Amino acid sequence: MTVSFRKSVLAASVSLAALLSAQALAAQEAVFAMSTNEVGAPTYNPIKATMLNTATGLLFDRLVSQAADLSYHPWLAESWEEAPDGMSWTFKLKQGVTFHNGEPFNAETVKAWLELFKTTEGENAYMAEAIASVEVLDDHTVKFVMSRPEPNLLYNLSSTFMGVVEPKSFAALGDNYGVTEVYGTGPYKLESFSIGQETVLVRNEDYTWGPEMAKNHGPAKVERLTFREIPEDSTAFLELKTGGVDFLLSVPADLMGEVQKEANLAVLTMAGQDVWYMPINVTKAPFDDIRVREAAAKAINQEEILAAVFGGVGAVADTFLISALPESHVSDGAKIKYDPARANALLDEAGWVMGANGVREKDGQPLKVSLWTQSDSIFRRLTEVVQAQLKAVGIEAEITTFDSSTIRDQYKTGEQQLAVRSYNWDNADIVDWFFGADRLGYPNVSMFNDPKAEELRAAAMTGSKNMEERIANFTAYHEYVLTQFPMAPIYQPVQAMAYNKDRIALPEKIDAPSFGAAAFLDLEVKE
Amino acid sequence: MLSWLVKRLLMLVPVFLAVSVVIFSILHFIPGDPIDNLLKIGSSPEARAEVEARYGLDKPLPVQYGIWLGNVLTGDLGTAIVARRPVADLIAQALPHSLRLGGLALLFSTVVGVTLGVVAALLRDRWPDRAIMGGVLLGSTMPSFWLGLILILIFSVSLGWFPVSGARGWESLVLPVLTIGLGGTALVARITRVSMIEASGRDFVMLLHAKGLSPLRIQLRHVLRHALIPVVTILALRIGWILGGAVTVEVVFARPGLGTLLIKSLSQHDYPVVQACLLMLAMAVILGTLLGDILQALMDPRVRAALS
Repeated sequence: MTVSFRKSVLAASVSLAALLSAQALAAQEAVFAMSTNEVGAPTYNPIKATMLNTATGLLFDRLVSQAADLSYHPWLAESWEEAPDGMSWTFKLKQGVTFHNGEPFNAETVKAWLELFKTTEGENAYMAEAIASVEVLDDHTVKFVMSRPEPNLLYNLSSTFMGVVEPKSFAALGDNYGVTEVYGTGPYKLESFSIGQETVLVRNEDYTWGPEMAKNHGPAKVERLTFREIPEDSTAFLELKTGGVDFLLSVPADLMGEVQKEANLAVLTMAGQDVWYMPINVTKAPFDDIRVREAAAKAINQEEILAAVFGGVGAVADTFLISALPESHVSDGAKIKYDPARANALLDEAGWVMGANGVREKDGQPLKVSLWTQSDSIFRRLTEVVQAQLKAVGIEAEITTFDSSTIRDQYKTGEQQLAVRSYNWDNADIVDWFFGADRLGYPNVSMFNDPKAEELRAAAMTGSKNMEERIANFTAYHEYVLTQFPMAPIYQPVQAMAYNKDRIALPEKIDAPSFGAAAFLDLEVKE
Repeated sequence: MLSWLVKRLLMLVPVFLAVSVVIFSILHFIPGDPIDNLLKIGSSPEARAEVEARYGLDKPLPVQYGIWLGNVLTGDLGTAIVARRPVADLIAQALPHSLRLGGLALLFSTVVGVTLGVVAALLRDRWPDRAIMGGVLLGSTMPSFWLGLILILIFSVSLGWFPVSGARGWESLVLPVLTIGLGGTALVARITRVSMIEASGRDFVMLLHAKGLSPLRIQLRHVLRHALIPVVTILALRIGWILGGAVTVEVVFARPGLGTLLIKSLSQHDYPVVQACLLMLAMAVILGTLLGDILQALMDPRVRAALS
């Protein structure tokens, strides 16, 4: 016993010496901690995957890129044109582009790639569902023949799920494509991937075809990128603090203060793609009365929440969509803003009189409602503020907390009255998803089923020939939904990241909706 | 002895069946639907029905259980719904990491625990005994999640000796092994001490003293051997417990393993993976208990005699 104990002490001291001599990272390498909600993505196969992480966007390029204002710009496609009736699109492709395995990128590969969406088992087929067939006009020109007009095509084409894969290796590798090997045209190649652990990428030295909005079109400046998957936010922060990691791709609000305390760390924020809101179940009394719905919605003081709950980081939400989307530009009257006088007047008008204890009453019944939220601490904090704000106009809300993975099933019962939740999406079709009459319960938590809304919805979803029409139709649909008060918008967060200033030099401006290929092309590691 | 062993092994069958029913049913009674994670914004109800049918989730629960059990018994753990790979592959990738971590933690608990226990027993009621038993109390009551973070703060952030997290090289194993091992060390130390003290009062010890053997020799050669029987039993029982305890520790230290796989699959409601992970953990407990019984039988001449 004593001998083995002595041995282990000896071993420990030897190893300590080895550790102390352990070297810092070599130059031109950077270590990133993946966003905690991207931990565990099982594959880099964009056609099959239901979940893709940030590194995917560096392996695969897309035909189209997006700027920070969500406008569309060339990437692998040099230019494009939509037929006036929306029934076909012609794309001119960049020349001289090659895949990581040496195969050329041309019109034939685009055709073969798009066919994979139809022939591969998976849930992503809808991305290319409106494309009936692809015609090769010449080596670098393709024509998509559409089954119906799809003004949302450019959005789909700019999504990570439509990263262009090399079709031959895709067929040859089968289920191993995206796990053991993967070939795209992106600025980085896959060196190794250990699911749930880390991904190592190496620079694609031939790369010269970066997205239009990046300053550097390639090759990238940093040679090797390591993406580590750390499920615990506090562990990830400690890694950043001790230099084990150079960059955190997500920082929760409660750790922001800790990051700012460190002299060598900095926070990077980009416009968010989330909206926090309070759905109102339009079928449950008292909210079957639109006046009570409007009153509850206008009792929410978004400015106060922004300052008190989120420390002023982010922006208020006064529509259902993130403000970068053109469809969020509804008429001023349709925007839902804090207006306590109007809320009180509406409740009086609806027959709810203020009682002695600060809770309104009607026919002897107090104005008591349920307010659902999920167990994450930020939700609970926000919900308590919402509860207080409702109380200020005489609505007593009782909070019920559910586990975040089970709350969807609770919504399906349709028993909710008010709730606090958030979504993450950067396309106006989210209005259809959360307010479409065929999805009552969940995702349509508001149980909103309105004939006029359904008409506007159909026009927006399938009745638009081109982008302008789609924007106009979705704006009209969105605006109508807002005037029916099936929810109250609350807050738009930012995407918050943190990095080591001594190690990483960021470009002055990142003109992209998220921290992706454009940002990584311009990123530098300090010597 | 052989017939006892056969009987003991046969008893595992009903235990296994009971465990499998529990594992299968609790998962289906907690709310949450794996299909929600597969369907994207814009999916139709038909797409949903099709996915449900593909994974057999449209069948009645007893039928699903029968199919699952049949497959498990033939070694087929199914295909992960979200990860879309054979569950056996995922387990095969994760298990060695957990076994290494758990094995080292067990080794650490044994070596350090027995040593501390012996020291405490030899110096009973003196200050080293009190210090060790105080530490034991602290060690056995600290939650491993919290202990892990504290160890990171001390040894990684302040002293910079070990990496904060990850699974690169042996140095990243030190803190997780300590985190899991300390709780076990406390238990082993306490049992060793009590068992040594109890054995010291036996008649055979008095005889050895009478024969004139040195007290230290009596303690280490004779008393310790006697006292180790309950310690070995406890250690075997802890095999399953240690794998289970690795769950939170793996997450804190961002290490691969059964725990990280289980937590990730739980949040994604990936039933086949969660079932397989729970089955592995349950099997570890069952086999650990069996091992404990067998070892005890082999070590204790009275048990051996009673069996033959």
